[in-house]
Amino acid sequence: MTSVPDPLGMLERMWLIRAFEERVSELYARNQIAGLLHLGIGQEGVAVGLAWGLEPRDRLFGGHRAHAHALARGADPARLLMEIAGRATGYCGGKGGTMHIAAPETGFVTATGVVAGNIPLALGSAYASTVSGDGALGVVAFGDGAGQTGSFHESLNIAALWGLPLLFVCENNGYAEFSPLSAHTKVERLARHAETYGIPAVTVDGNDAAAVLAAVRDGVDRARAGGGPTFIEALTYRLRGHYEGDPGKYRELSELADWKQKDPIARFVADQGLEAESPAAEARARAIVDAATDAALAAPHASVDQLRTQVTAEAVA
Amino acid sequence: MSTLRYIDAIRTALDIELRRDPSVVALGEDVTYGGPFGATKGLADTYGTRIKDTPISEATVMGLTVGAALSGLRPVMEVMYIDFITLAMDQLVNHGAKLRYMTDGLLQVPMVIRAQGGARGSMGAHHSQSLEAWFAHVPGLTVVAPSTPADAQGLLQSAIRSDDPVLYLEHRGLYWQKGEVPDGDDAALVPIGRAIVRRAGSDVTIASWSHMMGAALAAADQLAADGIEAEVIDLRSLLPLDLDALLGSVGRTGRLVIAHEAVTQGGLGAEIAAQVQERAWAELAAPIARVGAPFVPPPFAPELERAFVPDVDAIVAAARRVLDTPSRAARPSPQSVEA
Amino acid sequence: MLPDLPGEELVAQLRTMLRIRRFEEALIRLAADHDIGHFHVYVGQEATGVPALALLGDGDVAYTTHRNHGHLIARGVSPAGMVAEILGKATGINRGKGGTLHLASAAHGFPTTSSSVGGPLPIAVGSAFAFQELGLDRVSVALFGDGALEEGAWHESINIAAMRKAPIIFLCENNSLEALGQKANEYPSSTLAAVRLTDLVDPFGVPAVPIDGTDTRAVHEAMAEAVQRARTGGGPSFIEARTVRWPGNRPLWPQLLTGETDVTFAWDPSGIPAEHERWWSQQDGLLRFLRELLDAGHVTREQAIAIDTEARDEMAAAVTFALESPYPEAEEAFEHVFA
Repeated sequence: MTSVPDPLGMLERMWLIRAFEERVSELYARNQIAGLLHLGIGQEGVAVGLAWGLEPRDRLFGGHRAHAHALARGADPARLLMEIAGRATGYCGGKGGTMHIAAPETGFVTATGVVAGNIPLALGSAYASTVSGDGALGVVAFGDGAGQTGSFHESLNIAALWGLPLLFVCENNGYAEFSPLSAHTKVERLARHAETYGIPAVTVDGNDAAAVLAAVRDGVDRARAGGGPTFIEALTYRLRGHYEGDPGKYRELSELADWKQKDPIARFVADQGLEAESPAAEARARAIVDAATDAALAAPHASVDQLRTQVTAEAVA
Repeated sequence: MSTLRYIDAIRTALDIELRRDPSVVALGEDVTYGGPFGATKGLADTYGTRIKDTPISEATVMGLTVGAALSGLRPVMEVMYIDFITLAMDQLVNHGAKLRYMTDGLLQVPMVIRAQGGARGSMGAHHSQSLEAWFAHVPGLTVVAPSTPADAQGLLQSAIRSDDPVLYLEHRGLYWQKGEVPDGDDAALVPIGRAIVRRAGSDVTIASWSHMMGAALAAADQLAADGIEAEVIDLRSLLPLDLDALLGSVGRTGRLVIAHEAVTQGGLGAEIAAQVQERAWAELAAPIARVGAPFVPPPFAPELERAFVPDVDAIVAAARRVLDTPSRAARPSPQSVEA
Repeated sequence: MLPDLPGEELVAQLRTMLRIRRFEEALIRLAADHDIGHFHVYVGQEATGVPALALLGDGDVAYTTHRNHGHLIARGVSPAGMVAEILGKATGINRGKGGTLHLASAAHGFPTTSSSVGGPLPIAVGSAFAFQELGLDRVSVALFGDGALEEGAWHESINIAAMRKAPIIFLCENNSLEALGQKANEYPSSTLAAVRLTDLVDPFGVPAVPIDGTDTRAVHEAMAEAVQRARTGGGPSFIEARTVRWPGNRPLWPQLLTGETDVTFAWDPSGIPAEHERWWSQQDGLLRFLRELLDAGHVTREQAIAIDTEARDEMAAAVTFALESPYPEAEEAFEHVFA
């Protein structure tokens, strides 16, 4: 067991993510949320292990499966749910939606609907901090499907060349959309690509939040000391489909059952000896999500008055 | 006032803004060396690592520029030839242009993309296009295309100070042209979104931008020899368009020719013509004419390239065509045509 | 070392190398008086391209880059038609529409030539994919420089080629040894972080070898193995052929900084100018090949001079042909946009 400084805080946040995502799934099933939703159930360990290793000033960029990262960084569940439900009071006034959430004041900058689209953004953010000296790390979380894109490769190269303070966090959940990683590449461990550019790389069990946190801390320490980027490959599994409504016929039920046995929350409870505290933590998380749901469903829908606003700064001024 | 070449005016704008604002950086392939035409030459001597060479990774460098703009910098990225921006369209269009809107203003993307283009010097189909219409189709972007050294400096300074992503389109055929530029940090500033009347006239309006402005002005001279006074408008800013300036001029002349180097098909001239006729149908005495390149990729051979780029004669011919159209009062009504 | 090939084939390769060298030298002289746009020459890389491409057969395709002249001559394209194309003449191999950056000849196995760095890589994978699907015993070769490895398209291309075991050879001509700001064979450079270029290939499980691009035996053997692998279903190969950048390639436009090639340097070093002693005596693959042929008795000095004289005469005639050829009619600019 790896000891962590704030086990109960981490556990509560994992429960919050779990409860939030389950609620999103229910609301979608009841037609109370529209859109193309990608849930992070089963991957809470990576998000929370990562967030607990960062400082508020560090800038995290998520992908299309990013609710967990925003919540892990401290986004308000009510405002996040409002955004996902297309409400005027959501973080982005309902203009972004599930794949374009943003909560920059928490250090979760934004997400993207384009696979690997966030990697160059985090790269640029890390570069900015080397110019401005604000000490913020760039952090990017992406899936294994991003590893076959040109931007991934170009970003590794530039991060290495310029020694940028950047953490690459690859959540390798074994599937890119509807096919296994082996159908996308012959490369089994994506960390290999980082090594070819001389970037220190480590592969960890992503369902072990404490192990993720330890790897993140190593990377953060290296970056803050001017040692450049670090690549963390966290092996995990999504317990839901690629998107809500995905029949998931490309996976064996036995595989899903195996991974349910490796649930990151149960794992963390057992490893950290939190059996006594866990039920109350879960209950608190579910209560927060209940309140967030009530607030979100009562919130006004996005107004058509806002359709043309915030296209450009000039139009705003 | 100083007399500067267009390319020096670009460098001067970068120099002023880099000095004024420590958050301004310039990056691109070979920018410390000065790039192929010298636009950034010498800046690295003054600004050190704020002038940053990048690998040949357009897709990622565009995203890096967006990310840097999200994180407190005002980056100016150079795309060596506008043709190569095709590699970077995802980051520019899906990320840079949309992030303000998608986050309802939580984020802003104050960045400038400098790219030069145009068919000049037989560089062939991968180094010669005029692609402004693509970007003017994307909500969230600003697009400017200066035709003079003064505007080259003033618009670039304004672009860098803008809080939006700006496409700043240069034409390499203009790089060595000289002109007067006001001295000082702020004296040359040109507001984005304002056209300028380069020559006043009452018979026909010729609207153009970038390198084609030279042909437009020469066409006006040629028409003047025959007693036709053309009003020549340099749009400068293509998104947003200065529609008021255009409508004002068309109100005076009743006739409009739009001239650009890009291919006519789907070009910006089509959008401008549509907007003008929607708002000024009553004032138009003749159909709006467009002058642009034929609908082919830029050819290489000097002869073919010359045939590809619209010239003074084409603008003159278009102006005569709209002037020859009988005024509405003299035209038969549709019913009488049917009868 | 010499490839294990019959003497007459080796002499034929020498002839091809000399024809390429004299072609490029003639072109550099021609460019002094004629605007042919931004061009790139293959001087110093002949000992890579000639033995490598000699292993391809009819139906095999190769996709080259902005530095394509040598590759085309190596596979039998007419130098006269190439010079004519470079001058934009109607008799050019692409009727003046492509120019130096886009020289192509489908009949010789060069379907199209991209001057976008990394541009040919996905297209070359596409051809290999087609050969596989059609059950053809053919090979696709992607010829590219080390700069292309900075492009994401490279990573995407090798990933897909490796996945599919596609019949493709990635022949990377790393001509950056001793290039600006770099010492011999030293990566990482200012634009690529990998220590060895072949490191980038290793994760994909594709066989990758670095070779001396001036060693014709090494080129022949690596390429023969790669062709065999591709034809027998073994999938892709990666070859990094290293050459020292010819000093004349260092300026933006190629220049005959080293003077013209003198084949007698191969046996009489006394004539070698001191300033470029290393280039002529150690780094030029063509002279190395000639020295090895002389040592092995495959060719005599007199024969070498005679072959060289023929090559010079051929290129002089090619230039004359091109200069005397007509330009295309301007109307041709509008042709061949669509089927």
